[in-house]
Formats: sequence, C-alpha cells, structure tokens
Amino acid sequence: MPTAPPPRRTAAGVRLARARTALTRPTAVLGACTLLILTVLVVAPLVGLVNTTLMEGGRDAWGDVFASPMSENLLWRPMGNSILVGVATAAGSTVIGGFLAWVVVMTRIPGRWLLGLLATIPFALPSFALALAWESVFRNGLIGGSTGILVNLGVAVPDWLAWGPVPVSATLTAHYFSLSFMLIAAALASVNGDLMEAAELTGASTLRVARDIALPVVAPAMVSGALLAFAEGVSNFVTPALLGLPVRFHTLSTRLYGAISTGDVSRGYVLSIVLIVVAAMIMYASTRLTGGRRNFATITGKGGRRRSVDLGPWARPVAALAWLLVACTTVVPGAVLVLSSLTRRTNDFTSGFTLHYWIGGSDPAFAQGRPGILNNPQILQATGNTVLLGVCVALGAGVLGLLVSYAITRSTGSRWLPGTLGVVSFVPFLIPGIALGAAFIAQFGAPIGPIPSLYGTFAILVLAGIAATIPFAVRSGTSALSQVSRDVEESAVMAGAGLFRRIGAVIAPLTARGLFTGGVLVFVQMVRDLSLVVLLATPAMPVLAVLTYQYSSENFTQLANAVTVVIAVISVGATVLARRLEGAAQPWNQNS
Amino acid sequence: MRSGAPAASLTITDLRKDFGGTTAVDGISLEVPPGSFLVLLGPSGCGKTTTLRMLAGLEDPTGGEIRFGDRVIARGDGTALVAPSERGAGLVFQSYALWPHKTVRQNIEWPLVVARRPRAERRPRVEEVLEMLAISDLAERYPGEISGGQQQRVAIARMIAPEPRVLLFDEPLSNLDARLRVETRGELVRIHRSTGATSVYVTHDQVEAMTMATHIALMKDGRIEQFGTPRELLESPRTAFAATFIGTPPANIVECRVEGGRLRAYGVDCGPAPEGAGAGTVTAMYRAGSLAPAPGAEVGPGCLPATFADQVPMADRWVLGVDLPDGTRAHISRDAPADLRPGDALGVRLPAAPDAFFGAGDGHAAAGAAL
Repeated sequence: MPTAPPPRRTAAGVRLARARTALTRPTAVLGACTLLILTVLVVAPLVGLVNTTLMEGGRDAWGDVFASPMSENLLWRPMGNSILVGVATAAGSTVIGGFLAWVVVMTRIPGRWLLGLLATIPFALPSFALALAWESVFRNGLIGGSTGILVNLGVAVPDWLAWGPVPVSATLTAHYFSLSFMLIAAALASVNGDLMEAAELTGASTLRVARDIALPVVAPAMVSGALLAFAEGVSNFVTPALLGLPVRFHTLSTRLYGAISTGDVSRGYVLSIVLIVVAAMIMYASTRLTGGRRNFATITGKGGRRRSVDLGPWARPVAALAWLLVACTTVVPGAVLVLSSLTRRTNDFTSGFTLHYWIGGSDPAFAQGRPGILNNPQILQATGNTVLLGVCVALGAGVLGLLVSYAITRSTGSRWLPGTLGVVSFVPFLIPGIALGAAFIAQFGAPIGPIPSLYGTFAILVLAGIAATIPFAVRSGTSALSQVSRDVEESAVMAGAGLFRRIGAVIAPLTARGLFTGGVLVFVQMVRDLSLVVLLATPAMPVLAVLTYQYSSENFTQLANAVTVVIAVISVGATVLARRLEGAAQPWNQNS
Repeated sequence: MRSGAPAASLTITDLRKDFGGTTAVDGISLEVPPGSFLVLLGPSGCGKTTTLRMLAGLEDPTGGEIRFGDRVIARGDGTALVAPSERGAGLVFQSYALWPHKTVRQNIEWPLVVARRPRAERRPRVEEVLEMLAISDLAERYPGEISGGQQQRVAIARMIAPEPRVLLFDEPLSNLDARLRVETRGELVRIHRSTGATSVYVTHDQVEAMTMATHIALMKDGRIEQFGTPRELLESPRTAFAATFIGTPPANIVECRVEGGRLRAYGVDCGPAPEGAGAGTVTAMYRAGSLAPAPGAEVGPGCLPATFADQVPMADRWVLGVDLPDGTRAHISRDAPADLRPGDALGVRLPAAPDAFFGAGDGHAAAGAAL
C-alpha cells in the first residue's frame, strides 16, 4: 500500500501539486479546447471581417457606404427596404401563425391535427421554394423572358403583385408564420385545460379569462415569434434576390451579395457589419424580452384534457380560412413547383407536359441544351456535395455541440469558462447567414501561414456550416444532457471511467435520441440553406441550393423548380426517416 | 483492492468544504478502526452527504485531510487528491444511479471492464455477487424493468463487485417502503460483515443509525455534534440536540429558570438546581420513561400542566404525546394506554431530578448523565 508523502508546505510545491491534480480533472481541459475551436470558427471570422475593412484600401469603404453620394443607394434605401420587409413579415407571421395556433389548439374544427402538421411544413422547406412558386404563378412581362401561369392563362398581373415589396413580404410571411405558429401553439397548449378552468371557477367572464390569463402566457411567444420573423425578414437573401432584384428593389442582403460578387469586397464587408449589427440587436432584444433561449418551446406530446371554444355559426368560415391558409402555403406551392417543372414551355400548361427537365438528354430545343437534372453530372455532383455537406455539418456540429454543452453544464470551479462558452456558442444565432459567409471569406479566403486559402473548398463550407448551426447544436446537446442525471454519470466516475469513456459509454447512448433528432434538423437546415453558402460555393464545388438560384436567375424555371423539389424531398425524407428511427434506437425504453 | 486486502481504518482531520460563500462542512474530525460501520446522522443540510461525497472523491475538500488507513486520499490544499476509482471505495447512490441502457449483468460487470480485470476473473465474480444478492434471475433485465427494491440490490452488487475496502452509502433506503427498509437494513449489515470492509452510511433516520452503526457521527450545521457508539449517544447525549434527535421516543427537553437554588418551569417548582448553576436558565432533559401522567389534572410542585395530544403503541409500551403550555411536544412512555381524549388537560409528574442538564446557550452537557 502506498503511503502518503509528507505534506509539502512551500508555496511552489503546493502550486505544482495543485496543477497536477487539476490536470486529472479533464472538464476544464475540455472546456478550454472547445473554446479554442469556437474561437476559430466564430470569433476569428468576425474579427477578420472587421479587420479587413480597417486595413489600407478598405477604410474608404466606410466613407463610401455611410457618407458619400452612393450612400443613398448603397445603404439607406436598402436598409429602409429591409426594415419594411421585416415589419411586414413580422406582422403577417404573427397574425397568420396566431390565428392557426388558436384554431388548432382551442377549437374543435375537424382535421385539426392535419392543419397543425401542415402549418409546420413551410419552415422545413427552403425559403426559395415559396419565392419560386410565387414567380411561377405571378410573373409578368415587365422584365421580359417567360411569364407566369396567370399571364399565360390571359390574366393581367399588375407589377406590384409580381415584383417588389409585396411578393417579397408575402412569401417570407408564408415561410416564417410556421415559427410563430409553433411558438404560440405551444404557449396556448400550456394555458389550455386546468389553468383556464381554474380561472373560470372564480366566476370571471370568458373575455376576462382570455385577457388576464391566456394573453399574458401567450404574449411572450407572440413577441418572440414576431421578433424572429422580423430578424429573418430583414436578413433573408434569396427572396428579395428573386422577386426584388429584377425591379431594383434592394435590401441589405442583396446589396452585400452584389458588392462581394462583383469584386467590390470592402463595401460588401462594411454592409455585412451593418447587417450583423441590425440583426443582432433584434435577436438580442427577442431573447432578452422572452427570457432567453429556454423559451423556444415546440409542441410537445403533452396531452391533458382539451377544452374547446364553441364557434357556432362561425365554425365553417373559420375552418375554410384556416384550410385556405395552409393550402396556399404548402399544398399549392408544392403542386405549382412540381407541375411547372413538367411544362414544355415555361409555366404554360397549354404547351403540354414533358419529363425532359427531369430525365432528358441535351437538346438545343430545351433550356439552351441543358440536360434534365437527373441526367446532369453537375447536378448529381451537387446532390452528392449537398448530402455530404449536411452529414459532415450534422456530425461536426453534433459532436462539438455535445462537448460544449458538456463543458457548460458540468464545469465546476471557475465560472468564466462556461459563461464564455455559452456566449460564444450563441453568437452565430445573431448573424445572418450571408454575413457569416462574407466573414468566412474575409478570414479564410486568403492563406494564413501554412494553411492555404480555403475559398472554393469543401472544408470552408463545412466549417461555415458548423459555425452557423452551433447555437442550435449546443441547445439540443444541453437539453439532451439534462436527461442524464448527475448520479448516473458519477457512478461511472466511481467505476474509474475517464471523461471520454463516460461520454462514449454512458452519456452518448442515453442522449442518442435527442442528439440524433438534433443532427437531422441540422442536416435539413444545411440542405435547404442558400444564404450561408451562396458566397462560399463555387462552380467547381456546387451545392443544390446555389444551382437553383443560378438556374432561376438564368430563367431556366423548370430546372430551378425541379432542383427545389429534389431539395424538398431530401429534407422531408430525412425528417420522416428520423422519426422512424428514433423509436428503434433505445431498446431499454421499449416498454415505457 | 483485491479480496483479502485488509479493511482500512478511516481518519478525517479538520475536514472543510466551502461552496462559494456558504460552508457545508465546517471542520470535522473523527477516526474509526478497520471494519467499522460509521453512520453520518443528521437533519437535511447538516453536511453529511457532502462529507460522504468527499470520501468518495466526487467533491474536493477545501480544507483538512482524509486518510484511508495510512494513505492520504485527499487534502484540502490540493496537494493530494486521489482519483475516485483509485481510492478502493464503492458508493451506493440515493437514486441508485444504475445505467439505464445496460442490463443488470452489464451494470455489475462494466466497472470491472473499466478496471481492466481479465474476462476469466470477471465472469465468476459477477455470478458470485448476483448470487450473493439473490438477483441471478434478473441478470438480463434492464433497470427500468425491475422494482425499486431489486434496483437497490443491483446497485449494491455493482458496488461490491470490485471488492472495495470502503463501502459508502448515501441514504440508500430512503426510496424503499417501510417494510422493505427493515429487511434491507439487515441485508446491508450482512454484506458489510461478509466483505469485511469499512462502511460509511449517511442517513437522517436515527433508527437506521442505531440498528446498524458501530460508530455514529451526529452532525448539525456542518459540525459534528457528538461522535461515539450508538449506546453512548443514547445514554450520554452531550447536547440537547443529541438528546432530542436520538431515541424512540426522543428524550424531552424543558427550559428551566434557576431561582434560589431551585428550578422553575411554566410556573412550577421542578426540584433542586444542579450544583454550580448560577442565576439564568438551564436545559433539563427528562427521558420519556421518567415522566408519568398525574392522576386527575393535578398541577403543583414537580407536576407540569399539559394538554393530551395523541398516543401510539410502541413495542409493548404506549407513548403519550402531550403539549406543554408553550406548545413544546413532550413524550411519556408507560405500560398502558391513557383514558384521555385529545385536548384533555393533564399533569406531567417529574422525577426528583432530571436525567441530565445542559448548560444554557451552547446546549452542552453541564452535569453528567444521571441515568
């Protein structure tokens, strides 16, 4: 049996012994390592972005953007447009999402569950899907090229309905109302039942119960949903690019894309910084107002007795409106995209249908000789890239997210390390995708020491993807970790299992379900994302979303729509598959 | 750690644990010989679980020293901190903390795998402990599929499989129903004896402590209130807290004023004051068996006024609960039930002298026990 050395009393000896014992507690080491990785992924690009604009030759860009004859067109008008779109999106999303949430949770309209399911779908689709569908229906002859379904049927479409702020706001609303719906429905479900009954037992009128009990509980969710929709509306790139650019309706996002893609990099970076500041302020206000990240509740399986409002004669009109709304945001756009990808002449159903754009070979009569998408090596390569990108980002963000959330929740001793980790891992949530893409080019676009320029490589896509999704990954990691009680892990400590052995043998299996679901959501996010990758992807390294955008800009509508359908199928397929596999992953839970 | 290794004595010196600004353990010292069954007893928040976690290595002390045998396993200045798995100690958690994704057999075997025991050694050892705890039938089940009592046995089996020299228990019986608790108590003592290890057992239940312990450390507010054998704590409580925490029913405490060499409480003369007690108050301790209900509602010298509250049979005696005028609950033990209804007035006859005195203020024993 080893005997204890006599206690050393010199200060140096004590410090040395302390350092040695600290190294045997690997949580601190883990925290430091993950913080280093996050610094490279999140802090460095932002610093690089700011730094570039302050260097020789870049400094003029600040003056050009803020105080020059160009400012009006470069900054102030696009910013006004961004805010206009943001406000319209926030208002529309809150009204539509709130109405549908009320219908699904509080009324007894037949098929409520299907309504609820359909109302969550737009958020899972790429945001350009709705913009493309809108274009396919409403496009008029203003800018030349082919026209949309209505014009082809002989219906005159006014310019304000085809282009500019109205279609941009409408399609963004159709996309982001899902978010408001999910938040408000979850909040409403929590007030429904006992809470309302308890209030009614006091003798209060229905109106009073709604005002004093229901509204205060739902209000944070409404505000949170509205602010998120506002931030997304302000920073969204693809929708104003498709429906606004042709009539010179610019937002901050399209301006910064235009600047960077035409080589005017410094001004683009300055605009990125402006966009980050605007979006970050809104997102920060949202999280402060609603008590932080904890509040992003989604609909749970919580049942409980449901009470319902009797609508009387209003039942039919309300049901009709609800069904109309979900039909217009899910079923109709889906059908339009599929059908228009099959039309022989763009959006003209009278021209006959063809599968050429899907499976045809190269034929000068169609799309300037471009083959059908399933016959096009570039599309197949892009599909492979996109899926691989989704998988790599899901794995990378999943592992990093789990380690970060472990370091945050299980750290003992110093408080600053977990605190810093929490803040740094949350920062990307505040940064619009296109601005994060710009920051990655600014930092990793040029060689750093021995590391070559990453521009145009697969690696930069993966790194940017991990940086963009890390806030979500950390959140899902934290909630998964909260399922594992401290005791269960400590009993593994007692058995002598080291940190990584505990994570591998105890924590990972117990959190597999949550981590897997989180991973699939990250995957879907990457597959349908455009704004992050639009600046990073190159023709040599194509991804599907960028090809869709290019086809659409080049007016190959059928091809763009067909690729969008492929993206939607991959996203929805992955989500459904995840649901199926979830149950099979944990045999010890079979009889629960 | 292998079988046959001698049990270790346990020595704790000036052990402290501060969490930020609050002190959970405030400098405790004790020593027990190898093979002891030490119970850390006390109300919730007294620091007993923190002490156990420091023994296990799940918390690091902020002061003092812990030794298993001659070996220092933790020192508050950080100069010695042996990893939990190197201490040769096993822990049973209050929640059992079984790994829900491993079967019973895997739960017991995994610590041996982690410790790199060869398979040929592991298999028979797992069978042996399964047998020992009579859970061989459950070997292939998951923890979620067996009852709380069975989970408890698995947790114990998992702890003893690596043959630790120190067994640590964190309120292991608190999640069992009353009957199972009594049965398991006996089982734990049997395991303690058969392993020959030194055990440390945390509980707030003084009955558990009295039935199982060779040594009890009664804790309050992070300090040891009294350390000794169960019999010492029962027969010679050193403080009013010890007197009221231990015993079934616990002893009764009466605050008395000293006036002219006599004790007075509730306006009644309670007999002569102890020698050396000046003016002021002293705390007198009366055992339940020393008190008797006075016939009628007689109140006078040596007889306190009280109100009858309830009575309960205990072993072959009856314990009467009565409320003294200031609401203090007192217990009287006697052979037969009283013919009283709740709310009835009665007198409580005191013996000629209390069973013990504790000084005012610090509550420590002023005059020796007089039983």
